Amino acid sequence: MTSIWKIKIILLAVILAVTTMAGIQLYRHRHFQVPFLAGPGVTKVVSLSDYAKGLKGTMADTYVFFLEGKKEGGKALILGNTHSNEPAALLSSLIFLENAVMDKGTLIIIPQFNNSGSRSTRPGDGYPLYFDISTPWGKKTFRMGNRDASPVDQWPDPDVYIHYPDRMLLSFLDVRNTNRTWPGRADGPLMEQVTFGAMEIMKHENVDIAIDIHGAETMFPVTNCIVAPDKSMRIATMTSLIIKAKEGFESHVEPSPSKFRGLSHREIGDYCDTLPFLLEAPLPFLDQPTGPKTVDLLLDGKDPFLLSLSKKKKLFVPYDENGWPMANRVGQHCSVILELIRQYSRKKPDRAIKIQNVPRYADVIKNGVGFYFQDPLKKDKKNIYYN
Amino acid sequence: MVLAYTVAKWRKLSVETSMLSAAVTGGLAGAFIRTPPIGELARHLVEGSFTYLDVILVFTTATIFMAIVSESGGIDYVVRGTIKYFYNFRLIVLLLLMFIILIPGALTGAGSVSILVVGAPVALAFGYLGISKRRAAAILFIVAGLSAAAPPVNIWAMILSAGTAIPYVGFELPLGIPVLILGTFTVLVLGWKRESSRDKESVLKDMPEVPGSMTWWKVLLPFLTFFGLISVYRIWPFSFPILGLSLQFVIAAIVALLVSPKRINILVLSRDTIKRLLPLLTTMIIVGMLQQIMTATGVRGLLSYAVISTPLILLFFLLALIIPFSEGVLTYGGAAIIGIPLIWFLDSIGFHATIAIAGLSLLWPLGDGLPPTALIGRLSVMVSKYEGSYWRFLRTTWLPWIVITLTGILMIIFSSKLEFLVRWSM
Repeated sequence: MTSIWKIKIILLAVILAVTTMAGIQLYRHRHFQVPFLAGPGVTKVVSLSDYAKGLKGTMADTYVFFLEGKKEGGKALILGNTHSNEPAALLSSLIFLENAVMDKGTLIIIPQFNNSGSRSTRPGDGYPLYFDISTPWGKKTFRMGNRDASPVDQWPDPDVYIHYPDRMLLSFLDVRNTNRTWPGRADGPLMEQVTFGAMEIMKHENVDIAIDIHGAETMFPVTNCIVAPDKSMRIATMTSLIIKAKEGFESHVEPSPSKFRGLSHREIGDYCDTLPFLLEAPLPFLDQPTGPKTVDLLLDGKDPFLLSLSKKKKLFVPYDENGWPMANRVGQHCSVILELIRQYSRKKPDRAIKIQNVPRYADVIKNGVGFYFQDPLKKDKKNIYYN
Repeated sequence: MVLAYTVAKWRKLSVETSMLSAAVTGGLAGAFIRTPPIGELARHLVEGSFTYLDVILVFTTATIFMAIVSESGGIDYVVRGTIKYFYNFRLIVLLLLMFIILIPGALTGAGSVSILVVGAPVALAFGYLGISKRRAAAILFIVAGLSAAAPPVNIWAMILSAGTAIPYVGFELPLGIPVLILGTFTVLVLGWKRESSRDKESVLKDMPEVPGSMTWWKVLLPFLTFFGLISVYRIWPFSFPILGLSLQFVIAAIVALLVSPKRINILVLSRDTIKRLLPLLTTMIIVGMLQQIMTATGVRGLLSYAVISTPLILLFFLLALIIPFSEGVLTYGGAAIIGIPLIWFLDSIGFHATIAIAGLSLLWPLGDGLPPTALIGRLSVMVSKYEGSYWRFLRTTWLPWIVITLTGILMIIFSSKLEFLVRWSM
């Protein structure tokens, strides 16, 4: 055997070893199950495929939890992980799922809205595969996902995505982005079916308000805010003013642009009676000029480059040595959601929604996010839903 | 990483192997401080290698499609026809050839598709018009780059729009007008001069024979199939299935195979095509790995930070270097790493985002001629059969390069004054 062949065989063995090791890690990540614990308020659990049949048996199908109060009232829908690389959304919706008790009205929660995206990675962007949240009973591990659905579940992409029904041209990647495929179609690409399923829930259940939770870069102007169309603007403005006055944090209001199609805050309001709101909390991990993309950066949001840019006034949010920790982001979402619902209930007393037992901003900062997660080992198995 | 790349080049390793050494070394160096943890390094390398999988599939299928058209005698037939009817009308023939290069890239957003689909016959036509292979390669490179920036599909603008939540609308005039003006300027500057002069009859005599049963329809049918499939989705997007560019090229290739007057051994042709494309495909795979390692280690963030921290006036001057070089190293990744924060920054200080994106879009394609990837540059050289120094080819483009750079930067600086172009497009 010549030396060149020996080198080729050694290189082939190295490639096989590296590929196998990586393949196992990526396979485990895609199939890793996170326990969602149905709290005392949960009265019914269904699948999104019950509203969009095409999702049945696919990785895009996901759980829909109903928390129904004894008294009739309005209905609110919470969407978490529309973008699965913005994990404060999932954590906030799980706090509602595991703790909320309804006095009046109904809360519908879809914690993992883009389930396919949560089982995917973001090639080229060097994300960690998992992150842990400390709890009083140990660590709870979550998958770190991607903004878009996995190409394993929806492929190929078109050369350009033509939005349904407005025909606006969007990036080819947006065909897998569940915040560009609203209002969706029953027989469209898989992610259009996901948003179609959510629209069906809103129409069939007469949902009054829908809240889509996100995270955004500190260098992005639309961050730390509530995005709302005209019809939701009054409630959003009142919420912003009240939380600033009572809880001391900023969440300004941004108008939903009428010509930018496919977004939840635009299409939900245009295609059904539900009032949509999109929440953005700062997420330094997503910024481009940061150090390594580590779990620490994801959780505490501390970065020296961003700190320096903040001093040069190039960020859109206040930023200091404390970074922007996960507890602040999750706490902010919890408070804004509770206040949006309260404001809506004040405006429409006959459709009021009353929720108990959900922590607010100061509580989450004081106790940490994990404090509000229950131990799966101490929970009746029938109340655990693996996703 | 830079050291590993330099040492590898000094040891005369290929560009691809040198970039791989940079990625692996960067990953190992980062692992000392767990960025990334050593147990994750293999996953980062493999995951990164998938970053441009779609682009790789498009290159492969488009090149096999074009190879079939070429093998069937279709290219020779088209070139013969062009020379026969327009040989004495230089302005018309040059503009016609420019449009032929612009169309595939404008429809797909990839200048490489222009080169792969129409590059070879257009280069041959340039040769018969008395344009040297070096100048022909230069025209192909610049115009194919402009085709990628041309509307309706501009991938840089789409990435920036998606990343900055700016609607991908209103780009038709801000992109279309400069692309047409700059394209015309390029073909006239580089192609007007006839470096060798021959009469039409002798040129036609020297041209390769075409199979007797070849007709215009047999040449056009595969292209009509390809553009037809693209157009059908544009016209009926909600009732026609999404095929993707790769499958569209495969279908067009099957049509080309069926109408070919010559019997073609598809297995041999595919094997030879892949062999020819291998360095390019390897580059795309390794650029993805490099991008992933740069992000996981924080190097990418550092570069992005450096760009954003630069004073505005200096930044405008540096854009001429930063933007093409980011494309040369990261291809489309450059738009995400540098472009997105840059647009946010410019938007926040009063520049018009859509025009600024259009201006940047003119600069990025220039980087497709720069190493280490030099994607369109290498393809242009390949299809025009230019065998001289790569740098000499690149130097030939200096005048259009400077004019395009100035146009792009001036569009950014005066973006708010050019806002009417966006309004007129909508």
